[in-house]
Amino acid sequence: MTEDRAALQDLAGEFVLGLLDPDESAAFERRAEREPAAASAIAEWRERLLVLDAAAAPVLPSDDLWARIDDGLDAPGAEAPPAAPARKFSLLTRLWSDLPAWRGATLAGAAATLALAIFAAATYRDAQRQPQVIAVLLTPDGKPGAVIDVFADGSSYVAPLTDVSVPADRIMQVWTLADPAVGPVSLGLLAEDGSARLRPAALPAPKPRQLYEITLEPDGGSPTGKPTGPILFKGFAERPR
Amino acid sequence: MTAAPLDARLDPIADWLGGCARGDRSALKAIYDREGAALLGMATRILRRREVAEEVLQEAFVQIWRRAASFDPSLGSGRAWVFAVVRNRALNQLRDDRHVPVEDHDLEAYAAHDEATEDAFDRLAESEALKRCLSRLDPVRRKAVLLAYCLGLTHGEIAGRLGAPLGTVKAWIRRSLASLRTCMS
Repeated sequence: MTEDRAALQDLAGEFVLGLLDPDESAAFERRAEREPAAASAIAEWRERLLVLDAAAAPVLPSDDLWARIDDGLDAPGAEAPPAAPARKFSLLTRLWSDLPAWRGATLAGAAATLALAIFAAATYRDAQRQPQVIAVLLTPDGKPGAVIDVFADGSSYVAPLTDVSVPADRIMQVWTLADPAVGPVSLGLLAEDGSARLRPAALPAPKPRQLYEITLEPDGGSPTGKPTGPILFKGFAERPR
Repeated sequence: MTAAPLDARLDPIADWLGGCARGDRSALKAIYDREGAALLGMATRILRRREVAEEVLQEAFVQIWRRAASFDPSLGSGRAWVFAVVRNRALNQLRDDRHVPVEDHDLEAYAAHDEATEDAFDRLAESEALKRCLSRLDPVRRKAVLLAYCLGLTHGEIAGRLGAPLGTVKAWIRRSLASLRTCMS
């Protein structure tokens, strides 16, 4: 085995162990798409380690889990046929596939409201200059809560899509996770009505799949510089099409 | 190397993924019936909270359905592919949750979780090549590999857990991977 091949195998092993940071991991996935040797190195590691996963103590799923999955298959973009229609839903599909599971959300309901939110976002965006990325943030029960546009200069525009009753001594604060090693960084505070243009943040250019969230913090903003309050809305950035 | 299934009959999941790609829901149900409990066991081991693991499993099955057409049997078994989809979802969920403040009961569950790596190793059948090859590793290095794979810990977290410098942990894991690869080939 040549040195390069060994290095590729090591990298694939770290990828499958889950040890690459999100950027490295995404880069290696892209590499595997165009480099068969990388794709097969990943597949080989998965086969080697599969027995560890398969030997985990089984946990019987709840009785209604299959019904929930089955319902989710009806969501737009969830249909299997990979042919032409998939393209039409590409933004929705990708946003949807990137969203984390939110407690209590049904896939079908969330997807339908998400489609509405994206429609709303696209409509209001037409009147703006072109953002670098746009993130639709969902409430914990899967309803669209806010839209964030992030521009090339690092400034952002936040528009709420739902009413939030903020207690008098609390304020909404906007965060993004540009680098998991650094943790969430504040983009700014929202006045009680919500909509705000936020000043440029000293952050790397926003990337697709970057996490954005809005938390409820003490008046004046989080005292620690990191989120301390409950997450009101949360979602991932995507490039506008 | 055993990456490719020897025979399609040994890998019914590959056939069922083909069914999913053609829009056959009963094929997805067949995968769920056969592997659901094992997949939920794996996700629960990583995420610790069963209700979160169930949501991850739910989302992952929709993803399996939608991406089944991209499964390439020449690269590996259907089973490994399905486990990888659920596993990646679980790891993403773990990373997203990481900065959310944990409550006391989570910390308790976390502390109780420490034996999970020994349990993972013990549960491997003696006949498995992976068990034999993991046995050859120095115990602390084996633990580093299992903390990463079975619990989804990062290099930094493993270093903290094992009380070892970060660079040392990275080197341990790299060498352990090389040793496993040689041992299993």
